Amino acid sequence: MFEMLDTEILGIIALTLRMTLLSSAISSVIGIPLGLWLDSAKFPGKKLVVTISRTLMASPPVVVGLVVYLLLMRNGPLGFMRLLFTFEAMVIAQVLLLIPIICGIVYTASQRNSERIQTFAITMGANKRQTQILLIKELGNEIFFAVITGFGRAMSEVGAIMIVGGNIRHHTRAMTTTITLLRNRGEINQAIFLGIILMIIAFGVQIIADFLRKRERRTDENY
Amino acid sequence: MKITDIKKSFDRFSLHIENLETTTGKIHGIIGPNGCGKTTIMKIMAGLIKPDSGDVDYENLSSREFTMVFRKPYLLHDTVIHNLIYPLKIRRINPDNELVEHYLEIAGLQDYRNQYALGLSGGEQQKLSLIRALIFLPKLIFMDEGFSNMDIEGVAFFEDYILNMQKTKPMTWVIISHQLSNIKRLCDYVYFMHDGKIEAHGEPAEILQDPENVNLKRYLHYM
Ligand SMILES: Nc1ncnc2c1ncn2[C@@H]1O[C@H](COP(=O)(O)OP(=O)(O)OP(=O)(O)O)[C@@H](O)[C@H]1O
Ligand SMILES: [Mg+2]
Repeated sequence: MFEMLDTEILGIIALTLRMTLLSSAISSVIGIPLGLWLDSAKFPGKKLVVTISRTLMASPPVVVGLVVYLLLMRNGPLGFMRLLFTFEAMVIAQVLLLIPIICGIVYTASQRNSERIQTFAITMGANKRQTQILLIKELGNEIFFAVITGFGRAMSEVGAIMIVGGNIRHHTRAMTTTITLLRNRGEINQAIFLGIILMIIAFGVQIIADFLRKRERRTDENY
Repeated sequence: MKITDIKKSFDRFSLHIENLETTTGKIHGIIGPNGCGKTTIMKIMAGLIKPDSGDVDYENLSSREFTMVFRKPYLLHDTVIHNLIYPLKIRRINPDNELVEHYLEIAGLQDYRNQYALGLSGGEQQKLSLIRALIFLPKLIFMDEGFSNMDIEGVAFFEDYILNMQKTKPMTWVIISHQLSNIKRLCDYVYFMHDGKIEAHGEPAEILQDPENVNLKRYLHYM
C-alpha cells in the first residue's frame, strides 16, 4: 500500500494539515475570547445572538462554502481580492465554519463554571486580571476540547473547501476533496488509502479529546 | 465590619437584618434552621452578592484582607499544593517552604501534596480549603459550615488550632455551623436567625442556656 505514498499524496496531506492547523488556530484566537465574552457580557438581544450562534454551529459546510463563494466570486463584493479557488479561500470558509463551534463550546463551558470560579476568585482577593487568567486556566480542558473539536471538523469537512477551493491539483486539493475525486474516477484503492490516513489522524485527535474528558470526570466525590 | 438595614428578597424568601457588627479579633457564630438565610447574609457580608438595599461597611478592611470558606469548596484543577499557595501567588508572596509544610501538616495532607486536589475526599477538601484561607493570614474569615464533612478529630484539631491562634495573632471570624459544639467552643458571640431575621443574639452561654425566644427554644430542642 505504501507505494501510494507518492509525492502528490504527501503534498495533499501536507496541504490538508497546513489548512486545518491554520483555520483552527485562527478560529480559536477569535472563538475562544468570543465565547468567554458572550458569557460575561450583558446586552439586549443576547439570547438571540446565542441562538444564532447555536444554529451556525450546526450549519452545513456547503452552505458556508456557498456564502463565501458568493462573497469571493469575481462579481461578488470581495471579488477584487481575487481569492476564489485559493488556499486562503479555503481557510476563510473553514474559519467561518469553526468560529461558531469553538465559540459555542467555550460559551457553554464558561456559562456552567464561570460564576463559581469568579466567586472563588473574589474570596481569594484576586484582581480583575488575575480572575480572567484563572477563568481561562480553569476552563483550560474545555477550551482545549473546543480547539480539538474544531480541528477535527476542519479536517473532515469537504463541502465548503470543495466549493471555494475548487479542488485544483497541486493547489487546493485536500484529503477529503481528493477522496471524492478518486471515488468519482473509480480509483477506489487510493480513495480507501487516503480515507484510512484521515481516520488515523482523526483517531489520534479523539484519543487526546477522550483523555481530557476522562480527566474532567474525576472532579467530584459524588460521581 | 458592620452591616446595617440589609434587605434581600428572593422569590419565596426575604431577609432583613437591621444590624450586625463584628468585633475585631472575636469569633462570631450564626445559627438557625435550614433556609433561614445564614448563607445569604454571609455572602452579602463577604461581598459575594449585593443586597437589595442597606449598607455594608468594611471600615479599614481591603477586599484582599478577608475571605470566605464554603461547605463545598471550589478547588482549582490542579494539585493540592498549588491550591494551597494560590492566595500567596496572587499576592506575589513567595511561598515559604516551612510555612507550606506547616499548613499541609495541620490538614494532614502531606502525602497528598502532588495529588490532583479534586480527587480528595469531602473532608480533605474542606481541610484544604480552610488552610488555603488561613495561609495568607486574612484579618476576617467567613466560614459557612467549613467543618461539616470533617471527622471528629479533624474538627477538634481545627477548633484547638483556631483558639490557639486567637491568643497569639487573632483574626475576626464569622462562622456558620449546625454543630452546636463548634459554636459553644469557638464563639464569643452568637446570632440566632429565623426566617430571614436575627431573633436572638448574645454570648453563647447566655442565649443557648434556657432561651426565651420560642424559635430558638425549638431549634435547640433536640440537642
Ligand atoms: N439565588 C437564590 N434564588 C432564589 N432563592 C434563593 C437563592 N439563594 C437563596 N435562596 C433562598 O433563600 C433562603 C435562604 O437560603 P440560605 O442559603 O441563606 O439558607 P441557610 O440558612 O444557609 O440554610 P442551610 O442551613 O440549609 O445552609 C432559602 O429558602 C433559599 O431557597
Ligand atoms: Mg447555608
